[in-house]
Amino acid sequence: MGAIPFRRTDQPVSQPSLWSLSKKLLRSVYRSYIFRVTVQGILTLWVVTTCTFYMIRKMPNNPIEVKIDEFQTKQNLTYEEARSKVAGLFDYDPDAPFIEQYTDYMGNLVQGDLGRSITTGRTPVSQQIAKYLPWTLFAVGLGLLISFVIGMIAGAAMAYWRGTVFDNVMTAFASISYGIPDFVIAFMILLIGGIQLELFQVGDYIGSVDPEIKAGFNPEYIRSLLQHVLLPVTTYVLASVGGWMLTMKSSTISTLGEDYITVAHARGLSQRRILFGYVGRNAMLPLMTRLAISVGFVLSGSIIIEYIFIYPGLGKYLFEMTGKRDYTTIQGIFLVTSAAVVISNILADLLYGVLDPRVRVGSK
Amino acid sequence: MAGKEIVLSVQDLSITYLTRRGRLQAVSHVSFDLHRGETLALIGESGCGKSTLNFGLMRLLPKNANTETGKIVYTDRAGQKIDVLALNTRSLRKFRWSECAMVFQGAQNSLNPVIHVRDMIYDTAKAHGLNNRSEVRERALELFRKVRLDPERVFNSYPHELSGGMRQRVLIALGLLLNPQVVIFDEPTTALDILTQRSILNVLRDLKEELGFSSIFISHDLAVAAEIADTVATMYAGEIVEMGPVNDIFYEPRHAYTLGLMEASPRLSVGREELDGIPGSPPDLVELPTGCKFHIRCPFAIESCKTTQPPLEQASIGHIVACYKSSEVLERGKELRSVSSTARVARLS
Repeated sequence: MGAIPFRRTDQPVSQPSLWSLSKKLLRSVYRSYIFRVTVQGILTLWVVTTCTFYMIRKMPNNPIEVKIDEFQTKQNLTYEEARSKVAGLFDYDPDAPFIEQYTDYMGNLVQGDLGRSITTGRTPVSQQIAKYLPWTLFAVGLGLLISFVIGMIAGAAMAYWRGTVFDNVMTAFASISYGIPDFVIAFMILLIGGIQLELFQVGDYIGSVDPEIKAGFNPEYIRSLLQHVLLPVTTYVLASVGGWMLTMKSSTISTLGEDYITVAHARGLSQRRILFGYVGRNAMLPLMTRLAISVGFVLSGSIIIEYIFIYPGLGKYLFEMTGKRDYTTIQGIFLVTSAAVVISNILADLLYGVLDPRVRVGSK
Repeated sequence: MAGKEIVLSVQDLSITYLTRRGRLQAVSHVSFDLHRGETLALIGESGCGKSTLNFGLMRLLPKNANTETGKIVYTDRAGQKIDVLALNTRSLRKFRWSECAMVFQGAQNSLNPVIHVRDMIYDTAKAHGLNNRSEVRERALELFRKVRLDPERVFNSYPHELSGGMRQRVLIALGLLLNPQVVIFDEPTTALDILTQRSILNVLRDLKEELGFSSIFISHDLAVAAEIADTVATMYAGEIVEMGPVNDIFYEPRHAYTLGLMEASPRLSVGREELDGIPGSPPDLVELPTGCKFHIRCPFAIESCKTTQPPLEQASIGHIVACYKSSEVLERGKELRSVSSTARVARLS
């Protein structure tokens, strides 16, 4: 007698059926990381959209009332006169049932249509966003980049020379930067730098570009772009660099205390190699989540900074549209912003895996 | 070990830490010679200055530490004498690892978690001017084989993919990469289970025989020290209080503290349940007691122990001890041993 076979040979081996193959495929799709985060992301966006949809309609006033108010005060009309005037302007019925408005909106949304603006002559919301988004991306993106890089380097240096005068001065600066809100810094730059000390002509630095210069890839236009973005970027950097510095400093300090740094010194590695390959790479890890969130919020801009410097970005536009209660536009900007946060978080997860092999995504 | 050439000579080394409470005397007036191929075990309680001493030898002390007095003289293979404390940053970097390497305790954290083991090998080689990667790779794989690791797999792993014992072996292989003359082992087996500990010790013994490096072995585990060492030094409160050949120290301890350590270690082969610990705790290193630092906890202490510090004196060949009552300690040790002689022999063999 030989060993008992696991499968009796007199029975035909069944071929894997199409059904079991597709079941297998479905299972592997279900288990895949990309699939899971995509579903999670879509769910998040749906919840955000629904909540904002409800909440912005619960704000006092509606687009019609706001406009009526405006006509009444500006043109000295009676309520009735203003009302009839506004009725012809807007294609929006504030008295439609909430659930109907919601299903209409969601129906369009799944087809990729963000709807049309209520108050600005029925322009598509996507077109509006496309118009204002580049400015914000440019200003806030540049600010974030500068702020992050400076914060990294300064924070690491503060940790490296901790306890020295350099560290104390920088820590004090960082705490102040961390503590003062961005709009205060913006006002200080304008009022002290521009008006009190007359270091620059305020008019030359606010707004988007000099309208007299032709748009295009020419030196004057680029100069004008940079000139007008200077103050918003400076404000953003001053307001946010402190946070990066302090986080990086504490992260670096704890990394410097790790055994592998001592071992690296004992191995006779060069200062440079230790600083970048051993301290830097490990100290950066905890900052990646924070960076992802900041990158996500780049899109919504820095509302108040843009508003103060009259910079035509998405933030300022959102502020204006909120004033007018332009529901569809507000909704669209919120959706794009939350999508950006969700996507950048997914990217951060993937990037984190590249930087830290211990949490490589998808590995079992 | 007498007659063999001296590789590392430490003379009158004192190291203090500047703390909030004042100057902390971590190592005081330590002198010893390490010969070629010799293994010196440093034993003592936690906080007695073993690790500080070894970090001091490689000048890896934190910024608040200060080497007050002493000299560390290292003799390289060409016979050139190197004054370690006088090395500038550049030569110190070259000296570290190529002449004197260190295997740290806590292998869990000794490897950079975000890079491959191979990159740590290449980094080390490159820092010492070895740029031929395939040669370095061959050398590393050979060492991995010697420490009984699966060479290819480990070479291409991340640290977190290895077990604690494997990481400790990687560290040992990494320590031997540049073929140093002196390797310091700082409690290399402390965080490991008993079986892994055993296999690491076997690996170490084989490697030592094969490569002939000298080593300083820090341990608070007397069984481990007894097994691996040629010479044993007992440290208490930053001082070497007794030093001698391994058999002398274990069979004929002459310092009350060494005897206390022996009596405090468990023996598997004896039925006795209770262990004689050493009463009290190590002294405050900021405000050291006068006289012999051990007198407060010492059952043999006499009046002069409290006021004057006993000098290190020659007791037998190669055996020095700093204790006024060394002959009484020796007698007491013999008495105790006759009670449990079989047990001790079983332990040390």
